[in-house]
Amino acid sequence: MCYSEQMTNITPQKKTVLIIEDERPLVQVIQTKLEKTGFDVVTARTVDQGLQYMEDIGNIDAVWLDHYLLGEKTGLDFVAKMKSAGSKWARIPIFVVSNTASSTNMQSYLRLGVNLYSIKAEHRLDEIANDIKLFLAKPDEK
Amino acid sequence: MLKKTFSTSDDITLKLKILAEEKESTRRKLVITAKRLAVIAREKEITRRKLAVTARELKRLHATLEKKVLERTRDLAQITSKNEAILASIGDGLVVVDKEGKISYINKSFEEMLGWKAHEIIGKSMVEVVPREDIYGTGVSFKERILTQVLAGQKFVADLTNPFYYIRKNKSRFPTSSIVAPVILNKKIVGAVEVFRDITKEKEIDKAKTEFVSLASHQLRTPLSTVNWYSEMLLTGDVGEVTPEQRKYLEEIYNGNQRMVDLVNTLLDVSRIEMGTFVVESKTTNIVKLAQSVIAEQNPQIVEKKIKLLTSFESNVPLIQSDPKLLRMIIQNLLSNAVKYTPEKGCVRISVSLDDKKSVLLKVADNGYGIPKNQQNKIFTKLFRADNVIGKDTEGTGLGLYIAKSIVEQAGGKLWFESVENKSTTFYATLPLRKTK
Repeated sequence: MCYSEQMTNITPQKKTVLIIEDERPLVQVIQTKLEKTGFDVVTARTVDQGLQYMEDIGNIDAVWLDHYLLGEKTGLDFVAKMKSAGSKWARIPIFVVSNTASSTNMQSYLRLGVNLYSIKAEHRLDEIANDIKLFLAKPDEK
Repeated sequence: MLKKTFSTSDDITLKLKILAEEKESTRRKLVITAKRLAVIAREKEITRRKLAVTARELKRLHATLEKKVLERTRDLAQITSKNEAILASIGDGLVVVDKEGKISYINKSFEEMLGWKAHEIIGKSMVEVVPREDIYGTGVSFKERILTQVLAGQKFVADLTNPFYYIRKNKSRFPTSSIVAPVILNKKIVGAVEVFRDITKEKEIDKAKTEFVSLASHQLRTPLSTVNWYSEMLLTGDVGEVTPEQRKYLEEIYNGNQRMVDLVNTLLDVSRIEMGTFVVESKTTNIVKLAQSVIAEQNPQIVEKKIKLLTSFESNVPLIQSDPKLLRMIIQNLLSNAVKYTPEKGCVRISVSLDDKKSVLLKVADNGYGIPKNQQNKIFTKLFRADNVIGKDTEGTGLGLYIAKSIVEQAGGKLWFESVENKSTTFYATLPLRKTK
């Protein structure tokens, strides 16, 4: 909690995006891009680490999520937890950005209520960052 | 008196003389007869001897014949059992049916593969005893059965392209490949022979291969994304300015990588088609709007090559039930091929019209390089590219038309073309208003 207040104090106007992605070079470039787009960024490489940050940091505004992650759990486990009944994070937007383009996966994510599903190899980083920015700028969303 | 006596004695003498002469004559005749009889007897003896010889000869011939018949029978029996052994031992399933489609012979492999014993099914209808299903588990109707078609006079049908399943006695099924041919006697079809094979192994190998492509493609996408996004960041100046010279190099890296991404995506599409995991989401689709958006998307290439594009969209084209994503791929493929394989300042026509009451016709024509006559039969083959364009365009993969044809056919439509090398090519695709199967 103390950590979160500290962050809010430093950059009160910035929104925070949690990136959950296991591929190190990708984490770095996504982080840079999102920071350039005007976000604060927290990064995690496993589902459990991601959930831990959700709990500890407290003011996460959006999640950038990959499907395959380090460890057994996939992005689907993360979304299921976030959207589970009574979850305090149910309204936090989730953007799945993955190369695992199987239709079944995509359907599962959309059914669980993620806000966007993009295939990494088919989009510019610009586009996805911009989509997130536009989404978070809408007054009724978050 | 004396005179009378004299005369009586003369009479007797005369009579005796006559009598003697008659006897002599009779004796002579007897001698002649005896001689004749002797001749006849001799002749008969000769005949008898001849008959005896003939009888002996006949007896000998009879014995030989009997021996030959025995030998021949033995040979025939041997040939028959050898033939039977050959038929029985054929590793593929074999069934012979009469002209009504009733089973008259099955071999051992048939019994083993399908679980039926010959005595249980001889005389029964093959089509009824062994039901057949397509890949989705839909039964193949009596009319559609190759066997029925062959018996009805179709010359020869090899069934290697369409995978199907045969149902065993215990209701389990296995993938099969079969060849059916008519049995013709005196120019009439008297039945048919079907040879079939269990292709479970082949299918497994094929699936493993396709899964490998799918997995490899997913894995390939990760480093491609890295190259993509890092070069993008450099190009957008997010990590500092680059010189114009460096920008040129970075653009080449970016574009080359983009082509690799497209190629991997195409490979993924192929593997989805082959694994049957292409999810089709049919919805009400406006094909004209879709065509217009594809044209807009490809406009840069059309403009760059100064190609004259003519469009004709009939107003009576109804909305169709189709997967817009897949339909888009068909139009994209046909249009980009027309643009790619037509020289600068050429002409491309695209039209959409109502074909009949049940389908829509998409036509994409160009006056470009065309497809050489001797390669036209291969143009839909996976990875095939015609000789005349290999040198002209380096970007083709030989997968576009294969994918397009698979999608069109999956949707219940047809895709075909007409082409004259160095003159023109027209591709036609019919798409049902709603899918029939």
